[in-house]
Amino acid sequence: MTQQSLGEFEELVLLMVAAQHDEAYGVTILEGLEEKLKKKVNISAVHVALKRMEDKGFVKSRFGGITEDRGGRRKKFYVITALGKKMLDAQYDLRNSIYKQIPKISFG
Amino acid sequence: MKINPPKRPLQFLRWFCREDYLDEIEGDLMEVFIKQSESSPRKAKWNFGWSVIKYFRPEFIKSFKQHQPNRYGMYKSYFKISIRQLIKNKTFAAINISVLTLGFSCFLLLALYLHDEMSFDMFHRDADRIYRITQHEQQDNGTLRNISSVAPAIGKELREQFPEVEDMVRLSAFGRVTLGNDPTNRTHERALSADANFFTFFDFPLLEGDAKTALQEPFSIVVSERIKEKYFGTGPALGKQIWSGYRREGQPIYLTVSGVMKNFPKNSHLQIDILFSEATWHSLYNNYSQYVTTEWVDTEYTTYLKIKPQSNITSLSARIETLVKSNYPANREFRSSFTLQPLREIHTNSSQLESAAEQFNANSIKPFYLYTFAALGLVLLITACLNYMNLATAVAIKRTREIGTRKTLGAPKTQMVAQFIIDSMLFTLLSFLLSIALVYLVLPWINIFTNKEISIGALPLEWLMLVTAIILFVGVLAALYPAFIATRVAIVDALKREVKIGGSSLSVRKGLLIIQFAISVMMIASTLVIYQQLNYLRNKDLGFSHENLVVIDVNSRNLRRNFETVKTEFGKPAEVLRVTASTRVPGEWKSFPVATTKSNQNIIGTETIFVGIDRDFLDTYKIKLLAGRTIENPVADSLKIVVTQLAAQQLGLADPIGQMIEIPRVRYGERMEELDTPFRVEIIGVVENFHFESLRSKQMPVIFGALNTSIQVIDYYTLQINTSNWGNTVETLKAINHKLDPDTPLEYTFLDTRFEEMYLADTRRGQIFVVLSVIVVIIASLGLFALVSYSVESRLKEIGVRKVMGASVSSIVGLISKEFLILVIIAGAIGLPVAGYFMQGWLQEFAYHIPFGVLVFAEALIITLLIAFITIGIRTIRAAMLNPVNSLRSE
Repeated sequence: MTQQSLGEFEELVLLMVAAQHDEAYGVTILEGLEEKLKKKVNISAVHVALKRMEDKGFVKSRFGGITEDRGGRRKKFYVITALGKKMLDAQYDLRNSIYKQIPKISFG
Repeated sequence: MKINPPKRPLQFLRWFCREDYLDEIEGDLMEVFIKQSESSPRKAKWNFGWSVIKYFRPEFIKSFKQHQPNRYGMYKSYFKISIRQLIKNKTFAAINISVLTLGFSCFLLLALYLHDEMSFDMFHRDADRIYRITQHEQQDNGTLRNISSVAPAIGKELREQFPEVEDMVRLSAFGRVTLGNDPTNRTHERALSADANFFTFFDFPLLEGDAKTALQEPFSIVVSERIKEKYFGTGPALGKQIWSGYRREGQPIYLTVSGVMKNFPKNSHLQIDILFSEATWHSLYNNYSQYVTTEWVDTEYTTYLKIKPQSNITSLSARIETLVKSNYPANREFRSSFTLQPLREIHTNSSQLESAAEQFNANSIKPFYLYTFAALGLVLLITACLNYMNLATAVAIKRTREIGTRKTLGAPKTQMVAQFIIDSMLFTLLSFLLSIALVYLVLPWINIFTNKEISIGALPLEWLMLVTAIILFVGVLAALYPAFIATRVAIVDALKREVKIGGSSLSVRKGLLIIQFAISVMMIASTLVIYQQLNYLRNKDLGFSHENLVVIDVNSRNLRRNFETVKTEFGKPAEVLRVTASTRVPGEWKSFPVATTKSNQNIIGTETIFVGIDRDFLDTYKIKLLAGRTIENPVADSLKIVVTQLAAQQLGLADPIGQMIEIPRVRYGERMEELDTPFRVEIIGVVENFHFESLRSKQMPVIFGALNTSIQVIDYYTLQINTSNWGNTVETLKAINHKLDPDTPLEYTFLDTRFEEMYLADTRRGQIFVVLSVIVVIIASLGLFALVSYSVESRLKEIGVRKVMGASVSSIVGLISKEFLILVIIAGAIGLPVAGYFMQGWLQEFAYHIPFGVLVFAEALIITLLIAFITIGIRTIRAAMLNPVNSLRSE
């Protein structure tokens, strides 16, 4: 398997997709992120990240049913793939292992 | 309450976004928008727009490329179908191609013609810097006399004093020289003289001789190839000598050929065959140098200047005026101004100029004609294309089933339009090639007719490309219309062949047809009027006979002296029935002297033509003597005159015989001359009125005097001959002339020919009108044919039903014809008044013309209707004869 990268924002989106398992689509992801990050995020950024990760195989998508309040447009739900989960785990482990090497420093 | 997102960003998003992403993106955007607008609608809208813009990035933009796996195959199929269509509809194809070919050819020819007119004089290297000095002199009667030549000193001083004048050359005309080493075979040739730098100033190539030195020596001449071949045959002529008259002291003059120039191109305003060195004058006349350097009034020298680049031309002409004014003789009033006429404009802007000789302004044309020709070319091209459009639409309807099938199979509209365009490109290209061939074929004829040397090869690349581009552009444009009309129809209608295409566009096309026929009717009426007028001019009784009369020009003293002897000699051959000598002859091209007459009651008559005659004049010209007698003895009757009725009437003389009148002054062209002693003469006879000049001008009163008056000398002998064996007669006359005057060749004209020449321009115009009428009528008829075809094609079923119900062929033809003949009548109602207006104007140019009547209008309209009826008939009869089964079966 080739080494695949995961950008910082992408990682956040992926985490959010994983967290909202099977319920995640553009708007929920956006709202989740805005809530956690406590800042405004543009929906297009979320979509860009999602498309890229779909290309990389970290997420997969399916269409939902038509609802009235979206101007008749279908939702697209995203689910994390095994590869995506593995990537998240790898990221988590990497960070954790480095974090553990930090000597005890006291900042008062 | 439903809140809508901003419209434009949404449209934009839908336009660029990939189909498969659109649901998700638009949906999400909506959700966000709706949520946000609950708190602040304005911000939500802003945000929406901004987000859409942020989506505008490669990942989300759809591919605008059409997915077309095997284009080549499709185009091949289009091409094949186009060719099949062409073969299937042979008549249509033939008509279509001829319509386009005709239009293209006319356009191409007019473009060639225009290019030729515009390229006049442009072959000189320094063409943009060469100017001709023209002089404008205020006349006594307030008019301005515009002359294209100036005094000799002006050019010389300009070159010496004005630094911006780089070079200067002067030409002068002196009529004709007699040339020929063989005394029995000499002819007159028109010649000019030029400064020595002529061939370095202009770029007329020399075949023999040196451009720098050819015109330096006195008595050297440079001749054109034409003249060289005439006098020296095919071999080289450099250094050869030719006899040309006598010096004043009596010894003969021999001229040396110092150069042979290529025949001047036809698109040069200068047309010169023989050029003398200016030095010749200096050695012939002792005081010539003084004349050339000190003369400031005369207008004998046509002067060209080569100006250094970036000089101010306007200020230069003002300075010329100042210079001439300061040098003008004190006893003459200076009333002139000068302009520098650019070489480029000489050809199109010289009609108001009086020039020293016709060699100086050859083939001058008014810019008005150029504009007219350009407009005509475009009109012909456009009408041809409009007709093509009509025809192609009619054919396209036939193909609706094909279109329907293609549409059902999912062919996109653009592809079908492309097919039609390929179709018409085929026609356009084919017609373009054909028109080039046609132009090649007719060019020699046109060159003879217009006296030009036009060839397609002479057209520079830019022009060629421009013309080709215009033709192809218009051709494609004409193809677009049927393409869009035909592909616009609904599939179901197309398959059912029930097509009603564009009701409103049909009326537009009817309008176009009316215009075409209006032009046709106009042309036909004009042609009829021109020909009737020409016929009238030829057959009008001029009051004298000009048949079988040969006029001999007197060019030397030998023929002028002892005119009685000359008359007897010329009268000797049996074929010569009568001989008369006179100062002027009818149909004169030199100007008539015009006398002012005053009766003894001091009534001033209008200006009167004066002609000196001998006793045989009236008989030879068959002018009827009404009262009294004619001039009999030139000496005894030298103070007697014969007048026309008109002259007598204008002098207020009821009984003119025996009355004395006075001639105080005579005008020769522009020059008015007071006679030294008022010329008092007695009227001894009255003759019937006659037309001495072209019928363009009003009949002038004429007085005949004796030959021995101070007004004018003998210039002509008129011989009434029996023309049965003219070849022999002319040889006999030449021999007689040689005996009388060994040095001057015989020069003669038939008076008939001269009268024909007076109306040459009108005859030409008549011929041009015939040709143009034919072309316009053909184009209009084809247009009509197209529209009728179109109408018949879409009414086939109706015709079928009518036939089944018992309609006859003639009633069906009548039904369809009526509709179109009405159009032609409307066209007549528009075209005829216009033609009437223009023709009335043209006829006014003639003092004597045919009455302008309704009859011509009626004739023109009938001709047009007949042509239209035949055109309609050809198409409708075929449709009306069709077995109705064929047209009705398809239901």
